[in-house]
Amino acid sequence: MRVCFFHLLYQIRLDIYLHLFSMGPKKETKDAAAPAKKKETTTAAATASAKKTTKTTTTTTTKVVTKERKEKVKSTALKAKQRVVRGNRLTRNRKVHLKPTFRRPFTLRLQRQPKYPRRSVPKRNRLDHFAIIKYPLTTESAMKKIEDNNTLVFIVNIRANKPMIQQAVKKMYDVEAEKVNTLIRPDGEKKAYVRLKADHDALDVANRIGII
Amino acid sequence: MTRIKCSKLRGKKPDELQKQLTELRQELNTLRVGKVTGSGGAQKLGKIRNVRKSIARVLIVTHQTTKENLRSLYHGKKYKPKDLRQRKTRAIRRLLTPKEKSIRLKKVQRQQWAFPQRTYAVKA
Repeated sequence: MRVCFFHLLYQIRLDIYLHLFSMGPKKETKDAAAPAKKKETTTAAATASAKKTTKTTTTTTTKVVTKERKEKVKSTALKAKQRVVRGNRLTRNRKVHLKPTFRRPFTLRLQRQPKYPRRSVPKRNRLDHFAIIKYPLTTESAMKKIEDNNTLVFIVNIRANKPMIQQAVKKMYDVEAEKVNTLIRPDGEKKAYVRLKADHDALDVANRIGII
Repeated sequence: MTRIKCSKLRGKKPDELQKQLTELRQELNTLRVGKVTGSGGAQKLGKIRNVRKSIARVLIVTHQTTKENLRSLYHGKKYKPKDLRQRKTRAIRRLLTPKEKSIRLKKVQRQQWAFPQRTYAVKA
């Protein structure tokens, strides 16, 4: 708020003084091409509003602005500008703390704008669906599962989890899984029982894959 | 299967290479299934190694070309990604640059110019 006020003042002052200087050459009876620095003063310093309307009123009186007056005007305008730019340290608003606790105020948090990517090439996903499913199982119990329970049994990457396995099976074999059960075998490999949805037939899919 | 050569691969476009990669990986998958079901025999089983190495070759070529393109993209720029910068050793990267080391005071510069190390020789 304060800043606006000062800025306004500054603007008003600037307008006034520019007006003053521009008025001189027009009003002078003697022809002077260059803006005259020394003219005859008839009236003293007028108020802001008066100055604004002097364009229409003063026809007879010519305003003379001395060099000292000009300097003073310039310095006050400059001061006002500086106040605006630097901020007024003497009469600024000080926060009144009504509570005994001081909480950290919210400050500006900028987003990152990196000047360069840290890695030139982003890391490639090493656990893609080719890497997840290693191979299907073809043991007798696995065969039983295919026929009776509509499930396929896979040996799977140990770092894969159930939703990953579901996605991988969908991508590789075009089948939707109803649920996935996993276990880790004693030899360290992960086995996944993938029960297919009712509209898929595990036997057909097994034939398609190559396990019979 | 014909032996995939790196020199042949380098001419290809990136999406072609990607397609070849997926094909090879699918082939590997079927071979692995065949291994489990006990189908192929020695031929098929020997093929597994070839396919694995071909996949490696495709990946190598892809990576090498991307890296090369990136290096030319960042050539001359002030800020490069860290893996495109010189690696050397950690200590060497933190040393003063030759330019920084050669900075001298103007006074010293003047002295060295005005009073260089003279060499004398005794006339025989």
